[in-house]
Amino acid sequence: MKKIVAVAIAFLIFSVGFYHAYELSELLNKSRCPGCIALLPKVSTFKEFWVQYPSFFHKKGSPTLPDWLLNESKQHVVMLFFWYKGCDPCKAQWEDMVKNGIVVGSEENGKMAPNYSKNVSIITIDIVRSELGNLLEIFTPAKAIPSTPTTVILFTTNQTYWYAFSGILDTSMIKKIIREAIEEWYAAARA
Amino acid sequence: MVCGGSCLTCPVAYSALSMVAIGIKRIYRKPMQKKRLVSQLIFLFITNAAFIFGVTGLIYSYFYCWESPQATMSCPIGILEHAVLEASIFLAIYLVGTIAIIGTIFGRAPCGWACPIGFLQDVVGKIKISREIKRSKADERARYLKYAILAAIPFAVHHFATMAYTDICPIGGLTATLPILLFHYGGYTPTEFFLPKMILLALTIFLIVNVKRGWCRYLCPVGAMLAPFNKISVLQLTFDESQCLKCMNCARVCPMKINLPYDVKSMECIRCGMCVDECPTEALKLEFKWR
Repeated sequence: MKKIVAVAIAFLIFSVGFYHAYELSELLNKSRCPGCIALLPKVSTFKEFWVQYPSFFHKKGSPTLPDWLLNESKQHVVMLFFWYKGCDPCKAQWEDMVKNGIVVGSEENGKMAPNYSKNVSIITIDIVRSELGNLLEIFTPAKAIPSTPTTVILFTTNQTYWYAFSGILDTSMIKKIIREAIEEWYAAARA
Repeated sequence: MVCGGSCLTCPVAYSALSMVAIGIKRIYRKPMQKKRLVSQLIFLFITNAAFIFGVTGLIYSYFYCWESPQATMSCPIGILEHAVLEASIFLAIYLVGTIAIIGTIFGRAPCGWACPIGFLQDVVGKIKISREIKRSKADERARYLKYAILAAIPFAVHHFATMAYTDICPIGGLTATLPILLFHYGGYTPTEFFLPKMILLALTIFLIVNVKRGWCRYLCPVGAMLAPFNKISVLQLTFDESQCLKCMNCARVCPMKINLPYDVKSMECIRCGMCVDECPTEALKLEFKWR
């Protein structure tokens, strides 16, 4: 009888945990963190430098970009930064960007540095806590595993274009990409 | 890395395979051991079958890295670390529930019947370089190391605010870091934790080749989670003294070197059933006892 009670209690605890934490566990498992097993991904990008959305790289069944993001990316260039607490490479990338004057603040409520804030807005997404975490899948090439940190620079003219990379990218390269995005977006806006 | 990615022409792969074959031939002779081999192979497949089942949110009740390219479930230690990092009480409850439900029914049986690392140790532990460690005070004391490691993980994670154990986990090195480097070589660069991880992995390999089930005995924190449930689990090793011939075959074959045949409720027992197979009478049995 004691054993049946023990199993029943265990089952009860398991059910509560399963009900509340299964999705979080799945999310954590899906967004692999190579940085945690002593490996840093070299920057992986889509084959095209600027990906048109939706393109044939877009995986079947993966979520679509929400309307508010498409609307916002019409107003200015949007930078997305996917991270989570405990991800060392995310911290390293963010600190690097702060040091080189691209962003200010912490990952939780980071903002673009004054040079950029007029034309670019940043959305930092904690893949564990934010509901937007599943967007990470969109920005991962078809055969790759979604991993953090992933940084995306995105703008919409008549089409949505983005440049996404996971891993630590040199900040001079990021600056170059942002400049290019702003120029493209301006050219389209003028036309 | 050095590997060209083609296993078919790789001498290391062939030597590893032949070692596995020798190990399997030597260890899985008796009826229950044959069943155990099938179980271990099935679980090895399920563990690495993300290409069929996809990546799920379930938690392994044994030690395997969830960063492994085809891992289906989550690593219990990884979940523990995230529960501390995110201060997520439900994640902790989910982990405790999973371990409790497996523990109350099967005790530490996942170590013997499901764990791929246990399978690896069974196989390499039977190669002749392996030496028997007799039961001694030092051995008994060293077994508490795994509980100390398990207890230290939450504090270390909280203190360093990072995945402190995963950073240096040798099993992660074996099942995730090395496969990823081999299959996607050129796609990754090692970080500063790579060297300590590989040194620990080398030490672990040295340990498990020289001591039977060395990882399970001294170091495995998941084993430490499951161990207390051995006292109350439904699946029990039972001993009938009236049938015992005092031949001590059971104590000789036990890979965990527990005090057989008397200490059948030992926290170290992994329910592998080797003693049951070896027993000339039916004094030792592995059975489900609901009472």
